[in-house]
Amino acid sequence: MTKHYLVFLELRSGAIAKPSIGVWNRFQQLASERGGRVSGFAAGPAAEGAFDLLQGSGTLHHAGAEAFGFACDEAVRGMIETLAGEQEITGIAFASTAMGRRLAPLLAGRLGAALFGGCTDFDADEGVCRRLIHSGAVVASYSSASPVTVYLQGRELAASGFTSAAKPRIEAFDAAPYLVSGINPMAVALCKSMQGRDIAEASVVVAGGRGMGGAEAFGLLEELAALFGGGVGASRSAVDEGWRPHGEQIGQSGKRIAPDLYIACGISGALQHLAGISAARSVVAVNSDPDAPIFGVADYGIIGDVKAILPGIIAAARDLLKKK
Amino acid sequence: MRIVVCICQVPDTAAAIAVAEGELDLARVSWVMNPYDEYAVEEAVRLKEQFTGSEVVVMTVTEGPARELLQKALAMGADRAVELLALSAPSAPDSFGIASALAGAIRNRYLQMPPDLVLCGKESFDHQNGAVPAMLASLLDIPFAGPVAALRAEEGGLELERETECGMECLRASFPVVVSAGKGLNTPRKTGIRQVMEARKKPIETISAGELPAPRINLCGVEQASARKSCRFAADSAELLRMLQNDGRIPDREELRA
Repeated sequence: MTKHYLVFLELRSGAIAKPSIGVWNRFQQLASERGGRVSGFAAGPAAEGAFDLLQGSGTLHHAGAEAFGFACDEAVRGMIETLAGEQEITGIAFASTAMGRRLAPLLAGRLGAALFGGCTDFDADEGVCRRLIHSGAVVASYSSASPVTVYLQGRELAASGFTSAAKPRIEAFDAAPYLVSGINPMAVALCKSMQGRDIAEASVVVAGGRGMGGAEAFGLLEELAALFGGGVGASRSAVDEGWRPHGEQIGQSGKRIAPDLYIACGISGALQHLAGISAARSVVAVNSDPDAPIFGVADYGIIGDVKAILPGIIAAARDLLKKK
Repeated sequence: MRIVVCICQVPDTAAAIAVAEGELDLARVSWVMNPYDEYAVEEAVRLKEQFTGSEVVVMTVTEGPARELLQKALAMGADRAVELLALSAPSAPDSFGIASALAGAIRNRYLQMPPDLVLCGKESFDHQNGAVPAMLASLLDIPFAGPVAALRAEEGGLELERETECGMECLRASFPVVVSAGKGLNTPRKTGIRQVMEARKKPIETISAGELPAPRINLCGVEQASARKSCRFAADSAELLRMLQNDGRIPDREELRA
């Protein structure tokens, strides 16, 4: 049977979320190499030209109702379920965003589909996936035993590099039947807006641990992260000290990140922390203890006091990026 | 308030997991309650303390006895526990099997009306799929609110906060609803001898999970991940940045700007 992938394109303030574009490109690449076709689905109001940056062929179904400005999972789930049935979809792909992490298992449960989440390597054509389990200590391989597979993909895979001169065709999707009253749960407001870049989506993450000595020193990390357009993270002890919010915690009980470049400052590298960075592509460690376990998983290191070293790194990075 | 909490056990968080002869070697690990499930149990017990006449039932799907796990939840304050024995272990990664077993048991127990609230941990520390809570919601056909960082109960519903990429989102949910617990929701209580003794008097039911649906995914193999790298040390900041630049470790401009 021909593979037909449906990619969910999440809209944030009228623009397609960057992680969704990454997933779209990956499945376009896959379809062009191995056969199959790709469709897209987006819910919510889109800004003028929001879909122009999508490359590749296929149809993009857009439910443009204003009502989807706020996440309402049930309605979106219902629409994707309908499309999946009508279009004989064999794979439904989500970017691993807060919304994607809710929708993917909801749909997999509903359709009785296989769910492949956080693959470090996958072959959708063969229906196999590899991913890290047990805090990054083990790589497991899975096979799908269902005609439909739901994919939930984060930054664990490097960008696919797909380009094409083709553009998808936009088709309006009638959302009216799905807009029922009494949506539950109902999102009422954004109560606290986020400072800085979400570390799960950033290509550069700079994080600090106990060695930072206090909340103030994180200003240096913010400065360095800003140069790279990256995000600031923290170890569990820095969060437990109250220096940084929970949302920035990296590790077993925090976020698992997969940036291209991870800079760990004053983080010793407890097993629980390493669990969160096993998919990072390059790791830099700055620590005063040469025996710190973080150096065991780092590609590059500097030994010394972070607060003394960071200003130098910031200056050197600024010089380098100016030339780039 | 009628509350069900779904829990599981995972290897101790500091355990080093080994692969021996192509299989996971879990013989020497000690098992603990999944830390996210502790938040879920704690939150349920707090609600019970707030609303008199509430009942908290904990459930787990297991291949063998899971007494210690259930007794811990009972010591924390749950009223009763259900051990769902799955004949053929739902192969650990198959969230669909686990969610189906839980959904079946919840339906059997609450024939007339679903429980007000089903609480789960947001994901298990071992397989980290985070799929069971939402799958359970879809199998029970009740709404799912996602992993939350704050929960306040009011008459007939909940006020919740959950994290998004843009910040914390505030939600209002009416019952019944499935909610999963994230870090920061609460600080789970420690249990003392007295609570542990009291827990022994609380009922634990052992029932068969019945025939589970065919697994949707199969585990085909495991390998030890090689985390170990050889670290190159730089003498100073300038050298570090030169190394990163020369090795192409700094994402290119377009990537940085996006």
